[in-house]
Amino acid sequence: MVTRIPPRTTRQPTRQRIRFRLFLASGAAATAIAAGSVIPLSPLLPAAPQAQAAPNTLNAPKALKAPMAPAAADGKKVLTVAVDQSVDSLSPFLAQTLLATSVHRLSYEYLTNYDAKDASTIPGFATKWASSPDKLTWTFTIRDDSKWSDGKQATAEDAAWTFNKMMTDPNAATANGSFTSNFKKVTAPDPTQLVIELKKPQATMTSLDVPIVPKHIWENVDDFSKFNNDKKFPIVGNGPYVIEDFKVDQYIRLKPNKDFWRGAPKFDELVFRYYKDKDAAVAALQKGEVSFVSGLTPAQAAALGNAENIKVNDAPGRRFFALATNPGAKAKDGEKFGNGHKALLDPDVRKALFHAVDRKTIVDKVFQGHAVEGQGYIPPRFDSYFWQPSDTQKIDYDPAKAADLLDKAGYEKNGSGKRVGDDGKPLNFRILCHATDPNDKAVGKYLQEWWGDLGIGLEVECLDNVSDPWLAGNYDLAFDGWSVNPDPDFVLSIHTCGALPATAKDTGATDNFICDKQYDDLYAKQAVEYDVAKRTDLVKQIQSRLYDTGYMNVMVYPNAVEAYRTDQIKSITTMPEAAGNIWGQDGYWSWWSAVPADGTGEASSDSGSSTGTVIGIGAAVVVVAALGLFFMMRRRSTAEDRE
Amino acid sequence: MTIDKTPPNPSEPTEPAEPAEPSGQVPETNETAKATTAKPTAPSASSLAWARRRGSVSRFWRQYRTHRAGLIGLAGLAVIALIALTSPLFIGGDVQSVTDAPGTALESPSGEFPLGTDQFGRSLLGLLIWGARISLVVGLLAAALSVAIGTLVGIIAGHYGGWFATVVMRITDWFLVMPALVLAIVLATVMSRSIWTVILAIGVTAWPTTARLVRAQTIAVESRPYIERAQALGGGHGHIMTRHVLPNVMPLVLAQTTLGISTAILTEATLAFLGLGDPSVVSWGGMLQDAREAGAVSSGHWWYLAPPGIAIALVALAFTLCGRAIEAVLNPKLGVSR
Amino acid sequence: MSSARTPGVVRDAVDGPVKTGPSGGPRTRARGHRTDYLLYVAGKLGGAAVSLFAVLVTSFFLFRIIPGDPVKAMTHGKPTSLEQMATLRKQFGLDLPMWQQFTEYCAKALTGDLGTSYQFHAPVGELIVEKLPATLLLTGVAVLIYSTLGLWLGTRSAWRHGGLGDKVNTGVALTLWSVPSFWLGLLLIIVFSVGIGPIPGMFPSGGMQSGNETGFAHVLDVAHHMVLPVVTLVAVGYAQTLLVMRSSLLDEMGSDYLTTARAKGLRDDLVRRRHAVPNAMLPTVTMIFINLGHVAAGSILVETVFSWPGLGGLFYQALSVPDLPVVQGLFVVFAGAMILMNLLADLLYPLLDPRVGR
Repeated sequence: MVTRIPPRTTRQPTRQRIRFRLFLASGAAATAIAAGSVIPLSPLLPAAPQAQAAPNTLNAPKALKAPMAPAAADGKKVLTVAVDQSVDSLSPFLAQTLLATSVHRLSYEYLTNYDAKDASTIPGFATKWASSPDKLTWTFTIRDDSKWSDGKQATAEDAAWTFNKMMTDPNAATANGSFTSNFKKVTAPDPTQLVIELKKPQATMTSLDVPIVPKHIWENVDDFSKFNNDKKFPIVGNGPYVIEDFKVDQYIRLKPNKDFWRGAPKFDELVFRYYKDKDAAVAALQKGEVSFVSGLTPAQAAALGNAENIKVNDAPGRRFFALATNPGAKAKDGEKFGNGHKALLDPDVRKALFHAVDRKTIVDKVFQGHAVEGQGYIPPRFDSYFWQPSDTQKIDYDPAKAADLLDKAGYEKNGSGKRVGDDGKPLNFRILCHATDPNDKAVGKYLQEWWGDLGIGLEVECLDNVSDPWLAGNYDLAFDGWSVNPDPDFVLSIHTCGALPATAKDTGATDNFICDKQYDDLYAKQAVEYDVAKRTDLVKQIQSRLYDTGYMNVMVYPNAVEAYRTDQIKSITTMPEAAGNIWGQDGYWSWWSAVPADGTGEASSDSGSSTGTVIGIGAAVVVVAALGLFFMMRRRSTAEDRE
Repeated sequence: MTIDKTPPNPSEPTEPAEPAEPSGQVPETNETAKATTAKPTAPSASSLAWARRRGSVSRFWRQYRTHRAGLIGLAGLAVIALIALTSPLFIGGDVQSVTDAPGTALESPSGEFPLGTDQFGRSLLGLLIWGARISLVVGLLAAALSVAIGTLVGIIAGHYGGWFATVVMRITDWFLVMPALVLAIVLATVMSRSIWTVILAIGVTAWPTTARLVRAQTIAVESRPYIERAQALGGGHGHIMTRHVLPNVMPLVLAQTTLGISTAILTEATLAFLGLGDPSVVSWGGMLQDAREAGAVSSGHWWYLAPPGIAIALVALAFTLCGRAIEAVLNPKLGVSR
Repeated sequence: MSSARTPGVVRDAVDGPVKTGPSGGPRTRARGHRTDYLLYVAGKLGGAAVSLFAVLVTSFFLFRIIPGDPVKAMTHGKPTSLEQMATLRKQFGLDLPMWQQFTEYCAKALTGDLGTSYQFHAPVGELIVEKLPATLLLTGVAVLIYSTLGLWLGTRSAWRHGGLGDKVNTGVALTLWSVPSFWLGLLLIIVFSVGIGPIPGMFPSGGMQSGNETGFAHVLDVAHHMVLPVVTLVAVGYAQTLLVMRSSLLDEMGSDYLTTARAKGLRDDLVRRRHAVPNAMLPTVTMIFINLGHVAAGSILVETVFSWPGLGGLFYQALSVPDLPVVQGLFVVFAGAMILMNLLADLLYPLLDPRVGR
């Protein structure tokens, strides 16, 4: 083997030099960071004595702001909202995600709106509405003080065109087609009159959540399945904000509509900025880079609750979080499919399972108080529809009773403490959980232990996409949850027999294959009931029936936990106005009503960008210096070569 | 000097894996060949072979001892393995229980909970120790699986040669250009969430490297004269592959496995972090994911986030140090640890 | 990322140029003969084309086995009628039989059409092109820095191998390599974005730009956002370059010709710099090329942690929908980048080798 030892003579001097360089180099990464930290000083730093004391321009944030950041120079009030969902499309005919539909709420008018106080229907694009005695013809009076942002008057003609497009072009019905599938004819006899004729009565006529688009812009669109409405800015609309700019998964920028009939919003700009990571979003809020963050975890809420200038809003949510059992999946034609556990067809077994769920612990431990114990199907936030089981109906936490029910149902414990059925097989269930939902996983852990104590095994199957086994009926239990709209029609419709798939191969709108005659009768009655009080009563009866079937059990109603910076937002309307939420409202109230804080609450991007400028320079200098150093050393080496 | 002389080039037939003694190996394997092909009269010959192998193991150990980094890695591994193996004695499976959790949510480190608690009030130290078992098992099995596939493919391709080898190596190359993490993510998404899925996903995406190395080694071994002799004596394909080639590629396989484990542990953590792990099992990657889901990062609970990451880094580092030391012993030309 | 980060297995990393034949022979034949080189190029090009086609085929079938009804996923949580679902299926060609979907996919892919995203209703090619610059910028800068850093430190380390500096150097590199990149990213967010103790939160925690700055301010703003992700990528990535450079340089330093050169009386230092380093650069440069192929796929984690609007983030996001055409398209792009970079390394290798007469 060839020796690798270099001649001794040259060793000493080189070694020293090289070792010096080596140490220098080893610390290069650290140096880069350190260099970055020396140069800039965040103006948002709460306690930085130098900032006040030193006349040094580098350390004085105010001196920096004006010249370095052009966007900041005019002192715009920017409201920045952190979002983690993608905008699937800016076309109201295609958009499905909550973020996209929220943006549409801000940029287009709907016929009606929901009152911020109690979510009751109030005028939107329409000022008045009336139905004919046979309940089949609806006449909407369209307001005459709404203008498109390009200056044209918005009229009933635009609304009629929007609905007709959705009725005639299936591609335009992608997002909201369910509202118009029952429409027979839509006309606009004059600019302030919209007449809709129905095939059969429809209870959702005063809650048609369909953005009305300007006909003169949209009639030029060829293919509604491909047109995303994101090429030409600003996007013509008539809502409180106008979409100015959009980059997929980066930001959506909106400007206030100065001519908005209800009054212009107070902020100069509204930006939805995309943060894939919730922690990154919360960090941005702590630093003032964003004004608002939603969907906080209990730990984040607690940490932000102690922070200065940040208000945590813990509001009753509009979701329910339930356990659903597979009632034996079947299609409309009667064909059964899936591999749901037979034992769950026994109402007593299901009841026993629900009896062994300690909802209070789930509220206290998993949600750490940021949730309300589950009762009926519709969350208490919608107090007119909220229903509670009577004492005789109620399935409360009672493990002893659960054990009793199981014993009676024929599943007694064997020697090793497992419940065994008549077939001699131990009782083991699977539960479908959404891999992306931490609450599913957490509750799954508790269920495993509670039901384990009962002698029932539970396998928590977490998947990114649960819909495949779900639709195929290949599950025993599942975590289920829906956001409830002010009008409960949809969430009620998904438990009717009509929602079952037509055949085993089809997909239906059904939530978990519940099909109950009594339930269906009640549902059909409420769907055509125009009298609010009577319909409310029917909705409560429906919930009572659903509870009694025992196919699903609502565990909790999770709160909406969100936080905003009080030094940027002075006031903001929640919905419901008393103790309500801000993100995902049914109207545009929050962002329309937000009032900027004065003085110090200068918008985030200003301060961010000036620090950014400084740090950017710092980073660039470090990179250039590192490269320069490298090449210098190379040059020097070459020079040495030539000696 | 050819341009192929770049040292870390596996497709260039290199010296056999036990370079210290090419001369000693020829008679050894030759003896073994005789012992197994001719008559079973030579238990002495086979025991001689075993003695020689023992000898080469102790020789290996003597050389390994000279690599201090390798020793540090080995000591670290011993400590971690000891903790993981004895953990059932002093903590027990109930550290995982959420209903009997002793603390409250996200407590900071204290005398009772040296590393604080998680969002369910469970002791993080207990979970960290308990999670070591899963992380190590996944790392070991995944690396073993990938090396097993790689060795099988490599030996077969190296032994048979011809168009068959070309096709097999073509497939191997093709797997090599596949973005491994992307492939693992896709596989983990397709299958149900369990540690077996993770093991499989890592195992089937990480084997091509080993296959190439083993194939090169196989070709090198088979070019030696004693293989020809064994063939002349009637040794079949199976005999040659298992009796002559396999023992000679074993050291290389050992080095590959050791290095593979650290990659596998990192990949396991990555998959768990992306939410593709088994949520009902406590592993280090899963703990990081739990910490992130609890919002530990932005709420300043660094003691939740830091320990699992440090544990992963330490174990990965320990295996890497060992692997590099083994490599250096087997192939001193690499000079990795000098 | 996993395969990009295998410093122990350096031998594999520099394996690029011999990916085709079983013998590694073409390279030897290529020497000095132009026609031979052209033949070699043609062979490599053919091989790459075959690989690319294989990627296309796999990508189609691999992603058909992902469970999930994309239409149901798309409409989840929204009132949707059966007719709407049928329309969506038709829009995306999901109503066709599998073989027809496949032939259509291949035909379209050859013309650069990778299908239409389920969730964004936009051509996949367009989405990828839109996200590509962000990824190229982030990973390009990271690769540039960590290659430079790795080459430099690797050379220093090999110079004085066995010394304290070498040990510290390789030790630090190996330790950083062993750290999960997403974890390091999260820690950096805690320390340098949220701020801890005396350290102010001075870097943004995510995204690529803050306001709508233009011109130079925009450049600086993006640079500011890039610092933490780049530091993360460099920290976990530079070990590989360092180790390859170090070991190949060590190997060169033991070569006969260097001994000869030294025997001729050339100064030791000079010999190394003139002869050893250029030769040792070869495997390292090859590896850098292969790293370039890896970068797109390798940035999935860092882009996810730092909300960087690039391909990696898009991949992760699309996978959870699942938005098959996007995942599929990205898979083709990631694998294609690897094939392309391997091809480039193959083609450049004979040209770069200083021992080949030029």
